[in-house]
Amino acid sequence: MKVLEARGVTKSFGGLKAVDGVSFGVDYGELVGLIGPNGSGKTTLINILSGHLAADAGEILVDGKPMRGLTPLRASRGGIQRMFQLTRVFRRMPALDNLVTAGCALGMALDAAQARARELIEELQLARVATLDAGHLSGGQQKLLEFGCCFMAQPKIALLDEPFAAVHPTMKEIMAGFIRRRHAAGQTFLIVSHDMPVIVELAARTICMNAGEVLADGETRKVLVNPQVIEAYLGGEAA
Amino acid sequence: MRSALQQRLRSELRTSLVLLVLVAAVPILVRNDYWLGVLIVSMYFALLAGGWNLLAGYTGQFSLAPATFAMLGAYGTGLLAYHWHVSPWLTIPAGILVAMVVGMVLAGIVMRLRGPYLALTTLSFAEIMRIVIGNSYGFTRGDLGLSIPTLMNDRLAWYYVFLAAVVAMQFGLYALLRSRVGLYLMAIRDDEIGAASRGVNTVFWKTASFTLSSALSGLAGVLYAYFSSLVSPELGLLLQTGLVICMVFIGGIASLAGPVIGAFLVYLTSESLRAVGGVQLIVFALLVILIARFFRDGLWGLARRILERPAR
Ligand SMILES: Nc1ncnc2c1ncn2[C@@H]1O[C@H](COP(=O)(O)OP(=O)(O)OP(=O)(O)O)[C@@H](O)[C@H]1O
Ligand SMILES: [Mg+2]
Repeated sequence: MKVLEARGVTKSFGGLKAVDGVSFGVDYGELVGLIGPNGSGKTTLINILSGHLAADAGEILVDGKPMRGLTPLRASRGGIQRMFQLTRVFRRMPALDNLVTAGCALGMALDAAQARARELIEELQLARVATLDAGHLSGGQQKLLEFGCCFMAQPKIALLDEPFAAVHPTMKEIMAGFIRRRHAAGQTFLIVSHDMPVIVELAARTICMNAGEVLADGETRKVLVNPQVIEAYLGGEAA
Repeated sequence: MRSALQQRLRSELRTSLVLLVLVAAVPILVRNDYWLGVLIVSMYFALLAGGWNLLAGYTGQFSLAPATFAMLGAYGTGLLAYHWHVSPWLTIPAGILVAMVVGMVLAGIVMRLRGPYLALTTLSFAEIMRIVIGNSYGFTRGDLGLSIPTLMNDRLAWYYVFLAAVVAMQFGLYALLRSRVGLYLMAIRDDEIGAASRGVNTVFWKTASFTLSSALSGLAGVLYAYFSSLVSPELGLLLQTGLVICMVFIGGIASLAGPVIGAFLVYLTSESLRAVGGVQLIVFALLVILIARFFRDGLWGLARRILERPAR
């Protein structure tokens, strides 16, 4: 069964079609990579899926049900958890309480959320900075913290926008290990990344976007050798 | 097990209670009606500052109308007492209710505004309210104000009424902020979009914060109305809001202790400088600038940094 589905989703900014008739679905338990050159519409698509932007046309279905007027709040409470490309943490709140907030907001009792946050912060190896205000964490630590916030409750799907960008290999491995374990336990993911080796390692299926359209969608190894995909990447870099 | 945030709040509550215990002991030494009056007005401002800090310091909504809600509370009470001689048992809750309801409505109006837009809108709202009340001579007696019967003539009794209100506010805010609600408000303050994305109902909690903050202002206004037995539009002067903001920044924004410390410090200093003339505001403005530049957490933050400095 599909957790999340996009049908003909389109979004323009002025004259620019950032997302142009995109259709795809993600099944329960899948881990899908989303790649594409800079400006190809990946973040815009994630923004639409998480209720941060309204599509001009097309629809989003969650568990097969069309979502009208999806807002960030409704998406989050409906189990669509996301991570932002430009990190968003609660800067003047201790790191641990960032996690507690996410747990409470999704209906956990304060005690339960605190216990869960302590487990999670251990697992993400952030215990050393748990009592520091999140704004005082390093860029990579903040990413890891925001990542953790997505998993306070069990999300239906985690939409991760560039979780590995500007993150040290050690921390990248902490995050990737976490993703592998959760995925093995049935967690569904959609992961945007420019880091091909990680995508190859984690994602069985990959979607490649270019200029707002889906260029290829299928088995990761096949997508990465698709001539059009190679063309889009090399073309993008040459330009 | 207590979180870092809860520990922080606890030490702030403790500090403010120590200060309030000292304030409670002042009448043992000082029986001068004038200085008791000055301290009562300081506590009036402590209520306003505490309420504004909830909204601005903890929820990130820089309203410029705290004094306006004190005025509205005072008029809610004053009009009922003046025109219809209603019992204080009803006028007091009615005054607070008026401030709360108007606060809730204002929250709805400014819900999508941020930063300077929010400040400007609440500023216009504050001036409109004051002018409307000042110009409705038939009903409010305009700038003359309404004189209402006082409840007690004993200044010392009023002193402890105000003190009890401030203590109750501190415990109430502490309980609120250490609960999940405190987390929601701070999340909204730090990143509203982020908060909604984590599942925080930002519309609801912003409205709640506005309403509660207005209720605290309303309470202050109602008490002041009966204490001074005069209700006038001067309560809502922008200058009063300016003082409240100075108090919160100087004492330490986004802390439980800061606004209370700031209220006493600023008002007592302002009274001591009264003889010198209009220099008080210049002094406070300079202090706010210095604090904004060098100690972002105000005097409380400075004290905390000194206390928490690792011993060598
Ligand atoms: N709010 C906006 N207003 C105007 N244009 C926008 C807006 N958001 C995105 N765009 C445009 O839409 C296009 C797609 O942007 P998007 O951020 O979705 O790309 P992306 O695939 O995430 O790129 P990157 O890999 O650099 O993160 C870009 O050309 C961008 O300039
Ligand atoms: Mg992007």
